[in-house]
Amino acid sequence: MTASAMFYWSLAVTALGLVLIGLWGVLTRKNILRIALAFTLADTGVNLILVWSGFLPGRSAPIVDSSVTSMVDPLPQALVLTSIVIGVAVAALFVVVGVLASRKSGSADIRRMKELRW
Amino acid sequence: MTLLAAASIGTGVMMLVAAVAALVVKKLISAIIIVGFVSLSASVLFLLMNAPDVAITEASIGAAISTVIFLWGRGKIGGEE
Amino acid sequence: MIRTIIGLVIVLALSAIVVSSVSDYSMPSELIGVGRGYTEQGVNDTGSVNLVTAVVVAYRGLDTLGEVVVLFSASTAVVLILTLIPIGANPTPPSSIVAFTAGILPGAIVLFGIYIITHGHLSPGGGFPGGAVVASAFLLVMLGSNTIPGKSKFLTSIESIAGLTFGLLGFWGMLTLGQFLNNLVLPAGSPGRIISAGIIPLISLAIGAKVASELSGVFASYRKAGGEK
Repeated sequence: MTASAMFYWSLAVTALGLVLIGLWGVLTRKNILRIALAFTLADTGVNLILVWSGFLPGRSAPIVDSSVTSMVDPLPQALVLTSIVIGVAVAALFVVVGVLASRKSGSADIRRMKELRW
Repeated sequence: MTLLAAASIGTGVMMLVAAVAALVVKKLISAIIIVGFVSLSASVLFLLMNAPDVAITEASIGAAISTVIFLWGRGKIGGEE
Repeated sequence: MIRTIIGLVIVLALSAIVVSSVSDYSMPSELIGVGRGYTEQGVNDTGSVNLVTAVVVAYRGLDTLGEVVVLFSASTAVVLILTLIPIGANPTPPSSIVAFTAGILPGAIVLFGIYIITHGHLSPGGGFPGGAVVASAFLLVMLGSNTIPGKSKFLTSIESIAGLTFGLLGFWGMLTLGQFLNNLVLPAGSPGRIISAGIIPLISLAIGAKVASELSGVFASYRKAGGEK
């Protein structure tokens, strides 16, 4: 495996690993804030995968210059730019709802939050 | 390219270890700071993938603002696990 | 314990599915589709040197408008939910280090944020990161004071004016050139200059003001919500 291929695939493995770790955290943690943190981790991993999908090793950033001949795909980067901002807004909403729910049930433990069950 | 591969593998391993640590560590405040660190490492990876716009955004929003949001939530919930 | 194992099994199964589905994926050698078109035509079409900003503001401007709407509804929901929590007492005063730093740094941070916003079409940056940087200066000011922020007409009016500007600039392109958010209603200029790329700098300013005021509003309502458990 060449260094270039190792560079390329290690980025994918990191991103995928982050998504899976975040998913595991969402499934298994009990503190509501801890779940929000795991959700943020998975969000970061998804953003990494999206940017990676438009990435080619050895090309330059998508800023046109007279010395630039080939560049990476700007479209996934533009989408991820908006996705990060939405991610933080959703995390803020998640935290606020979690705080309110924990005040109602008197604990941050999701097993005590009866009104979240269905 | 070898240097880039080493940098990406090193940062990636560090990130995955930190992500697991953030989920299993006892204190909530440590978990929040570790997640901020993971976001900062992610912005390094974005820079390695030639996405400087995304790297700036991730560093300012993911590492700074979302950490503040979680710290606020911890203060209001006020508890360890 | 049983929960951890079940979670682990689900995640491992999912990773096996993902790995098997991407196993025949190989590293591409060149760009295809719209990405190729953007890199080849981007500067001619929009006049913006930074192609990411060109995509965010010009090619996919409508998506960005929708994204701003999502951000607006999320921050409105945060503020609405936080009104359910009663307003707390004044927070504990900051230490002298924090108070001193909060006195001198925010000006420089705001200046840097405005630089990022206005150079979005030339160098990495644009409305989203610049707005976040400006909001972090606001956060620092708030950390340095020991009173809770009051109602701010200024923030909400900045927010509304910025959103309205974005929409109206879009309709300007619709009226004159027949395309919503066509950025060449102003001349493209010579790529690489600060005043170039049509209305991209103006839309960047609108996005930056919108993001900054919305995040600041969220922080202010966080600060207001009182009381430990």
